[in-house]
Amino acid sequence: MLKIRDVQTSYGKIAALKGVSLDIEDGGLTSLLGPNGAGKTTLIWTIAGILKAQAGSMKINGEDILGLKAHQIVSKGIVTVPENRLVFPEMSVTDNLIAGAFSRHRDKGGIESDLEDVLTRFPRLRERADQLAGTLSGGEQQMLAVGRALMARPKILLMDEPSTGLAPIIVEEIFEIIGRLRDEGRTIFLVEQNAHMALKYADRFFLLEQGKVTFSGTPGEVDEKEVLERAYLGARKAG
Amino acid sequence: MLDLVQNTVDGIAAGAAYALLAIGFTLIFGVMRRLNIAFGPSIMVGVFLGAWVHAQWSAGLVGAAVATFIGALIASAYIERLSFAAIRGDAALASMASSFALWMQLEQGVALAFPGRTTAFPGLPALPDLETAGLFLRGDDIMILAVAGIVLIALHRLIYHSHFGLEMRALADNPEAARVAQVNTKRVAFLTFCLAATVGAVAGVLIAAADGQISPKFGLWATLKGLIAMMIGGLGSLRGALLGGLVLGVVEAQAQWYLGAAAREIIVYGLLFVCLILLPAGLAGVRDTGAARKL
Amino acid sequence: MDPFLISVLSNIGLFSFLALSAWLLLIGGEISFGQQAYFAFGAYGGGIATAVWGWPFPLALLWGAGLGAGVGALVAWPAARLSGVHYAIATLAFAELTRASLNIFRYQRDVDGYLTGPDGANGFGDIRWVYETGIAPGTYLALIAGLLFAVITAIALASRFNLLAQLRMVGEDPILAGMQGLHVLRWKVGAAAAAGAIAGLGGGLYAHLATYVEPAQFSVMTGVHAVAYGLIGGLGTALGPILGVLIDIGLLESLRALAAYRMIVFGGLVALILILRPRGILDESLVAKVRAWARR
Repeated sequence: MLKIRDVQTSYGKIAALKGVSLDIEDGGLTSLLGPNGAGKTTLIWTIAGILKAQAGSMKINGEDILGLKAHQIVSKGIVTVPENRLVFPEMSVTDNLIAGAFSRHRDKGGIESDLEDVLTRFPRLRERADQLAGTLSGGEQQMLAVGRALMARPKILLMDEPSTGLAPIIVEEIFEIIGRLRDEGRTIFLVEQNAHMALKYADRFFLLEQGKVTFSGTPGEVDEKEVLERAYLGARKAG
Repeated sequence: MLDLVQNTVDGIAAGAAYALLAIGFTLIFGVMRRLNIAFGPSIMVGVFLGAWVHAQWSAGLVGAAVATFIGALIASAYIERLSFAAIRGDAALASMASSFALWMQLEQGVALAFPGRTTAFPGLPALPDLETAGLFLRGDDIMILAVAGIVLIALHRLIYHSHFGLEMRALADNPEAARVAQVNTKRVAFLTFCLAATVGAVAGVLIAAADGQISPKFGLWATLKGLIAMMIGGLGSLRGALLGGLVLGVVEAQAQWYLGAAAREIIVYGLLFVCLILLPAGLAGVRDTGAARKL
Repeated sequence: MDPFLISVLSNIGLFSFLALSAWLLLIGGEISFGQQAYFAFGAYGGGIATAVWGWPFPLALLWGAGLGAGVGALVAWPAARLSGVHYAIATLAFAELTRASLNIFRYQRDVDGYLTGPDGANGFGDIRWVYETGIAPGTYLALIAGLLFAVITAIALASRFNLLAQLRMVGEDPILAGMQGLHVLRWKVGAAAAAGAIAGLGGGLYAHLATYVEPAQFSVMTGVHAVAYGLIGGLGTALGPILGVLIDIGLLESLRALAAYRMIVFGGLVALILILRPRGILDESLVAKVRAWARR
């Protein structure tokens, strides 16, 4: 379980996260929704160790991880599927997948069998195993990124807006994959602009607005319409 | 103390020329996100053409200057077409390597056409030297400062108060958005090169005329000065290029005076290295927008 | 073997060390215009070791390589935060700083009655170990080739153990690489040290063949050439930079009659190659295709 408390992250003078608190519970899909600019990617990058938080705490099963560098976060089992920079374009699909397992590079046998599993899970990647990743379509690159993350045998999967730039039919495909991962019992933290799809698959969700968590709940018990409004448009100010 | 001020004055004059060179580099890098390391040599082609025209027809400074502009423009167009326009957008390294290859071509071409260590170039019109309070401002330096000043003002008007300048700034800020806003990116890129060539040609004429001569070493020399000034001032910033050029000129003048030529080189490069490590944003404080990430 | 051919091949070999050095950093995502500095450290260091201190040749070469590695790592550590143009100019600045410093570096000792050692801008002569021990040019060429082969083999081994792939990841996208668990800073500094060692080794070999070195030989042009070789020959394999050297020096020799126009021809050739193949002749996709074909 990943506990985030009062995390503040700034870009120079601009405060992007102004005290974010939320829990990512083991097993199941936790979703973070919010309008553009709310700070969703900033939070992912802070957890992933790319950005340094100026205040607050992050603990995984009691262990402090705030301030750890990116490669150290990976060794704790927290693996990120970033938005936009999905693949190493000049490397083949297979090499990209193997790259995901570098944190376990000693486990040669395990890596081989995991590679088999991922290629079975994503038949389209198996077809293109020797192709340079830069030549894949957007949806295929997203699949590759997910596959690569799985190669690291993650305890927690952080996914940053997997639907970005993809056609609706591909988005459905990707979310089906995410849903299957959730059904297998994995812990997934999904940041999404596409609140509708996210709510379909989330076990619980948080709403991030202007750098703070303003709402949380489970999809069944809330008025989806209101959540969607706030997720896309931001809370309307009173008066 | 007087020496310090005198050196500063001398340094600013030299620095003005460096600033123009740095601005040329910056214009191209800002708009194309790539480094044209053949910029110095392209100016050199212009300057040698100017010298040739003068030698053939006694064209004087004006004739030589016109020829310099023409030569620099042709050389820059050549480089833009071959090393920048022809290479696909994400291959910035290839553009840089290609511009280096063309540098080799231009340098050898010039050396073949003008054998001999130096070639004569018409001098600056003789302005009287100024002397006040024990400070000495040479006529040549006054000329350089005046011309550089005029160019800078004209450039500022162009970039900030004209449609073309707007297109340039849009392209520099966000190429995709510029394209969508119907900016003809290819045309703007080409014209930016031409603008850089023009500014560089001014620098070339000033430097060559002040010296009265030019050598094939000019290409490397101008490239180094321009690059150093640009980096000290802050990559991608025109204000930075100006500042960097002036600082470079002054530091060189002081170091030369107090410590001699050998130490001057050490100080300049040492300063540049330290500057880049400690102050990558440069004196103008340019934040790394990520554009510089992959050259 | 024709002595002229030996001389040309030796040149190709020596430049290959420099080209490999720059290539390794390119793979790691950094453009260095300053590898000639480590070449210089190797040349001066190795030369001083044999000519002034009387060390055995192998130790001198090791010393030159070690200096290159050490200084390379030292420079890379603060510079690693930089990228792109900043890194390129920082390395250029350091290399020029080295050259300018060598211009005032005097270290002369009495060796067998002669004053021997670097004399600033006047250069450093009498690095005569090779000639005093009577090693034939052909033998020395074999040594150069052998050491170059050893370096390439080491790189191939690194490739086998996936080290090169990790370096490429760091080079392509350091943030993504960090997300895969790679310690980016360690890789950048490590690559710089290895590159410095390769350049230093080449420098030591060069100094003893040429018997005379001077600061002007380690110029910016040399450094930019070194990077260009990798970009032309191809970034996909260690053979790429060597191909680049071959094209340049090979062209020089085959165009003897047109020697005066060599740079014009070479420059034009390079510009054309880069339009068609922006990552060089032996680029990553070609290498991937060859590998896939070999696997069948």
